[in-house]
Amino acid sequence: MPFLEVNNVTKRFGGLTAVNEVAMRVEQREIIGVIGPNGAGKTTLFNCIAGAFSPTSGSIRFQGRELAGKKPYQICQAGVTRTFQVVKPFASKSVLYNTMVGAFAKTNHLHEAEQRALEILKKLDLYDKKDVISRSLTLPERKRLELARALATEPTLLLLDEVMAGLRPSEVTEMLPTIRRINEAGVTIIIVEHIMQAIMSLSDRIYVINFGKKIAEGNPQDVVADPEVIKAYLGDEYVATQH
Amino acid sequence: MAGANLMGRPGFFVQEGSLNGMLGFIEALISGILTGSVYGLTAVGLTMIFGVMKVINFAHGSILMVGMFAAYWFITLTGLNPYLALLVVVPLLYVFGYYLQSLVIRPIFEAEADVREPITVIIVTTGIWYMLDNLALLLFGAEYRMVKTPISGKILEIADMYFQWPKVIGAGITLLVGLYLYWFLKHSRMGKAIRATSLDREAAMLMGIKQTKIYNIAFGLGCACCGVAACVLVTLYATYPTVGVAFDIKAFVIVVLGGLGSIPGAILGGIIIGVIETVGAQFMAATWTELLMYAVFLFVLIVKPSGLFGHKLDF
Amino acid sequence: MNLLQKQNPLHLLLTAAILVLLFLLPVIIQSSTMILILTLIIWAAYLTSCWNFVGGFAGVLPLGHSAFVGIGAYTSTVLFQTYGLSPWGGMVAGGLLAALVGVIIGIPTLKMRGAYFALATIAVGEGLRVLVENVKQVGPFKINGPSGLLIELSESSFTNFQFVSKGPYYYIILVMLLLVLLLTYLMMNSKIGYYLAAGGEEPEAAEALGIKVSRYKLIAMAISCFLTALGGTFYAQMMLYFYPKSIFGLDLSYEIAFIALIGGRGSILGPVLGAMLLKPVSEITRIYLGDILPGMHLIIFGLVLIVVMRYQPKGLIVPARRLFNRLVGKSSEPSGKNPEATIVTTEVE
Repeated sequence: MPFLEVNNVTKRFGGLTAVNEVAMRVEQREIIGVIGPNGAGKTTLFNCIAGAFSPTSGSIRFQGRELAGKKPYQICQAGVTRTFQVVKPFASKSVLYNTMVGAFAKTNHLHEAEQRALEILKKLDLYDKKDVISRSLTLPERKRLELARALATEPTLLLLDEVMAGLRPSEVTEMLPTIRRINEAGVTIIIVEHIMQAIMSLSDRIYVINFGKKIAEGNPQDVVADPEVIKAYLGDEYVATQH
Repeated sequence: MAGANLMGRPGFFVQEGSLNGMLGFIEALISGILTGSVYGLTAVGLTMIFGVMKVINFAHGSILMVGMFAAYWFITLTGLNPYLALLVVVPLLYVFGYYLQSLVIRPIFEAEADVREPITVIIVTTGIWYMLDNLALLLFGAEYRMVKTPISGKILEIADMYFQWPKVIGAGITLLVGLYLYWFLKHSRMGKAIRATSLDREAAMLMGIKQTKIYNIAFGLGCACCGVAACVLVTLYATYPTVGVAFDIKAFVIVVLGGLGSIPGAILGGIIIGVIETVGAQFMAATWTELLMYAVFLFVLIVKPSGLFGHKLDF
Repeated sequence: MNLLQKQNPLHLLLTAAILVLLFLLPVIIQSSTMILILTLIIWAAYLTSCWNFVGGFAGVLPLGHSAFVGIGAYTSTVLFQTYGLSPWGGMVAGGLLAALVGVIIGIPTLKMRGAYFALATIAVGEGLRVLVENVKQVGPFKINGPSGLLIELSESSFTNFQFVSKGPYYYIILVMLLLVLLLTYLMMNSKIGYYLAAGGEEPEAAEALGIKVSRYKLIAMAISCFLTALGGTFYAQMMLYFYPKSIFGLDLSYEIAFIALIGGRGSILGPVLGAMLLKPVSEITRIYLGDILPGMHLIIFGLVLIVVMRYQPKGLIVPARRLFNRLVGKSSEPSGKNPEATIVTTEVE
């Protein structure tokens, strides 16, 4: 049984086809990168998997269960948790409180939720800040909190939506091992990203989306050399300079 | 037979006649349209304020009441034609609204600028409602005051159907106001600025349109509309401190029905409510029509909250 | 209890002292009128604390809660007068009915934007009032329309929830209030509380974390309506007379909401604080100035509301708590685990 199968998913908004018959396959424990120029449809595709949108057609099967059309909370309960590009912490609450909200996905008891949350905060280096009101955190800290909260739900598949957005290059470099550690702990990851350094370094395989269609897939080196990909990002003129 | 000089309380229509059958129905229908357009007139200010500022002004009824008292005093003290009160009341209310917004509402609104929903503004406008109503009670006492004007009891007779002249004039004024506002918002510079701000606050600001000023003006205009409505209402209904309450609720219903932010929607919504009320009264007691109105309201909120002309709202 | 051990011992001592004082008040104060006023203040605190479940926890603005007060009052009274059912039983029946009505209303409306929800609750509240005003009899139940219902006082009887002196009423409502506050505290520190806080602050993020926000809002609504109705029965049994405008009125709905807002919705003691501050002012103003300056207490109400919302939108509990902490010598850094922290968040800083 395939871990995650995106079968010819299409998403139309009125007259605009944002995602056009995209097919994707994700194996367990992989890190899959999804890239593409701005407006290519990768975020829409992401949102279809995460349940924010309902695909117009096609199916999304996760461990044998159909996810397409389900509500976000159902998708999370199925084991797929997402983070937000523009982080949405519960701003008036502490780091620990935020993480505990995630932890309650798997338990009904306050004490248990607190324990799990504390463990995760330790792993993400946020333990010292556990009582800080999340509004006061720096951006990289908020991103880690977003991750911690998502991890507290004990996902099998983690969807990261431009988790590097807004970070300085040094901060990006710091974030990479964190994500790798999460993957090594057994969590499969799909990461939508613009920052090439991150995607190249993290992904086992990459899908490239442009104008709503998949234009390339494969391992990072192959994809980056693919003429279609170069054309999509830089235009025709640059194709000849690569081979 | 012919409608007596009975000025009913809001929520109670005035019997125009007791014709039976088809003619009676048509009379009720037209009467409902007339009454309804007056209701719509009261709602125009509310919908405009919402359209621009995305705020539901819970003090709307009280502002209407202030306008009615102003009109009442003007007419009683000067003895002039009631419609001349428009010249005084409308600017008065505009100024009142302008300063109410800039002094009281704006600081709270700004403090809440980042919040998804400005609930505190709702709370504050409710507080203003309480204060105004009770201040009026304190100053003027609770009696019902009726304006005596040459128009008051006059009836228009068309083909055996009777309509109150003040209502007919009121409907006419509604039409004029509606047309004027349409022209104003579409073609005048200020109107365009207001529309721009309501569509996209930030883009408008980037174009050099000062948001605070627009809000103040929009609020003032909304209150000015209340002023027009107040002058019309004063010829039809009694004036007393809590007169705003019934109109307030009715205005909310109308505004949601017609679509928040849509002026033609407000007028059309008003007409619908007026028709429901008048035609409904043919079949049931007046208080039941009030219940019917709430039922319609809830129905619209649940089924199509964007109303007839409103935009699809995000939840 | 685990949570109890984490409290500051000075806090606990103070709380115990206040509780003892509250229980001794009717013994100390002999005046029956004073006891009645105190009872009404506590009743107000009770109602606003019940309102808090929806207005504070669920983060919406219900402005028609008097509907549930009325449902409670009418249900228990009507059952008592028709079948002789003890008002205690009737109280529970009223609560269940109120919870049912609340859930039915909540299903479509809790999804709405704040202003729409507020309007919807006003419509329901007023609609219910008009309905009851126009109905004289429903089947075997006499409702009496606008004249309201009168309960005959025979003799002090616990089963019949009637007492000749005011003292017992005071104790009953005090216990009810304390139970509601306890329930609030427990809820805030439970999965439901965390989920409601999350859903109120960032519904999208909450949903992505597996929370079906609407479900939890409905739970809060049901609890709130049930408890509010109990307060309605209490009022009926104490005042022995009520009519639609008094118990279903917009005035009562607004008063409940305002007190909670001024005190601080979303916190445990906020509504109580609001009631303690405002009710006495309103009663005194009404008694002494009521004739010379009618409606003055409502003007004060409105003014206080506007001023508080302008400067302390989260309620007076915030400066009150700061003052208290300074007096007691604790650091005033709010922590996420502090059960007194506000869990509703309309961001205003």
